[in-house]
Amino acid sequence: MNVSRVGVRALQQGAKPNVFFSQNLPRAAMAAKATTTMQTRPASTNKISETDGHSLLAAQRRQRPISPHLQVYDPTQTWFGGSIWNRITGGAFSGGLYVFGAAYLAAPLFGWHIESASMAAAFGSLPLAVKGSLKFLMAWPFAFHGINSMRHLTWDTAKGFSKKSVMSGGYAILGASVVSALGMVLFL
Amino acid sequence: MASIIRPALLRQTALAASTRRAAGVSTNLAQQSVRSAILKDSTRCAAFHTSSRRSLLPPGPQVIKGGVNDPAPVPEPSPTHGSYHWVFDRAIAAGLVPLTVAPFAAGGLNPTFDALLCSFLLIHSHTGFQNIIVDYIPNGRYPKSRKGAMWLLNLATVTVGIGLYEFETNDVGLTEAIKRVWKA
Repeated sequence: MNVSRVGVRALQQGAKPNVFFSQNLPRAAMAAKATTTMQTRPASTNKISETDGHSLLAAQRRQRPISPHLQVYDPTQTWFGGSIWNRITGGAFSGGLYVFGAAYLAAPLFGWHIESASMAAAFGSLPLAVKGSLKFLMAWPFAFHGINSMRHLTWDTAKGFSKKSVMSGGYAILGASVVSALGMVLFL
Repeated sequence: MASIIRPALLRQTALAASTRRAAGVSTNLAQQSVRSAILKDSTRCAAFHTSSRRSLLPPGPQVIKGGVNDPAPVPEPSPTHGSYHWVFDRAIAAGLVPLTVAPFAAGGLNPTFDALLCSFLLIHSHTGFQNIIVDYIPNGRYPKSRKGAMWLLNLATVTVGIGLYEFETNDVGLTEAIKRVWKA
């Protein structure tokens, strides 16, 4: 039943003399009309304790939809083209530095030989192809992290976020890092 | 007119049914019935989702601060943890660029600049690892793991700092060592 309609009917009923006071007029009007259907509200509420309320909210939150999987995003955009690979390469180098630093400190205890002379001798004894590929495996992340970090520092000044420059910059950095890594492997 | 009422009625009835289920009849059984009701509701709702649910990790424990109706608290602004730290981070990163290019250009570094390079690398690594920890171990859900990871990182950084000091003191220095291995 529409509220405005009830109001209209109440006004119509109100024009006649009535024993009820004005606040009972709408209800009286509804009751007077036999064909009127009463709106039922079957919603019931229960009081629950505060801890139950908390656990209910926590349980509901666990069922919320999560963000879509990474595959729905465009891989040419900033997150994949530069950002996450900067973190992966940087994390690998920092992890390597940490492992080396801690191992150098622990070396006398375990009798390891990781001084520069013995490492150079061990590396020199490897076959040429292995040496070259190991060097490239070190040189490419180094070059990529170095060049891409400059783009990140540019991004930090809120510049270079147009779609075109993100795309072309990504490919340019990929190319430059491969070229400089090959240069480091071949000519240094 | 009935056609206008019907959707509202339908919604109310459905809501009433679900709240009656969700609220539970007695308080001691409330939690159990709440959980089963949510499970049932979520499976019904799943039919309306177009993409499949592929969680990388299960959702962690949900921490609600304050009452059920309180908004999420806004952290106290702190430039030491915010903008100053951010600028310091970038300054270290920008400073590393000439320090890593210099050995290529000059053919080597003197001990002072080599020590400077090691210090900058250590600080850069430390703050980088901190960023990774902050990103992947949310403090709201895993406060103990966050604290543990941070202290583990502090311990590791101190250990590596001593190790690098020993290396710089007793060996040929970082750039020279890399050069010798590279040319071996």
